[in-house]
Amino acid sequence: MPIATLTRIMRCVLPDHAKVADDAKETIQECVSEFISFITNEANERCHREYRRTVTPNDVVAAMEGLGFGNYVEPLTVFINKHRAQQDCCPPPRQATHQPLPPPPQMARLPAVDGYVPSPPAVDVANYLEMPQMRDYFVGPYRGGGGGGEQFDPFK
Amino acid sequence: MRQPGAYSNLLSGGKTGPHSLPLARIKKIMKKSGEDVKMISGEAPIVFSKACELFIEELTKRAWAMTLQRKTRTMHKEDVAAAVMETDIFDFLVGLVSHTPNPSAPLES
Repeated sequence: MPIATLTRIMRCVLPDHAKVADDAKETIQECVSEFISFITNEANERCHREYRRTVTPNDVVAAMEGLGFGNYVEPLTVFINKHRAQQDCCPPPRQATHQPLPPPPQMARLPAVDGYVPSPPAVDVANYLEMPQMRDYFVGPYRGGGGGGEQFDPFK
Repeated sequence: MRQPGAYSNLLSGGKTGPHSLPLARIKKIMKKSGEDVKMISGEAPIVFSKACELFIEELTKRAWAMTLQRKTRTMHKEDVAAAVMETDIFDFLVGLVSHTPNPSAPLES
């Protein structure tokens, strides 16, 4: 058992000025392990007598009562019932199963906004260069038919 | 002596929280207690965690009574041993607490 946990439990029943030597803590630590083994053995024997294989909380509590720890039975019973009520109230989260992924959310259509610049009208790509507004834009080999040495000035 | 912090009480849910002692360690000790201890219910270690708290509290109180009889403020191993000897239900611990080497005994050549 962790010494820190043991110390915390001991401090709950000791006065503030009490001191506990390390050897006392280690001894109690060993006593706790021995207590668990002692009770478990008795609980396991009860299981075998009843032709069962799994040691249950009832076996543990009955073993304690049989071995002289009857004063633990009531607080343990209250504790078990409280724990079970908590489990029923707030069950642990279920493990993820093979469920299909939810569909991606639909993209919301943006509402029309005043001042929104509409996209340019559809352009006939095949005849793009023949369009009057584009004819003078392209020079050189990109111009349909005949080359020209005219300098291109985009600021005109 | 260092006092437990306020936050540790929040984590444990009060003076004695529901799972103060580590459940995995309790289960390990249960399995080691006998070769034929095979199957342990999931709730059994939880019950033991509370039972161990009660056990530690009782043993500590009895040991502290022995400390007060010695008119001192520090609990030692001898106080725990004395508490075990005085309490009938702690008979299973007698072998554990009395297994201490006697420093005055002569060494064998």
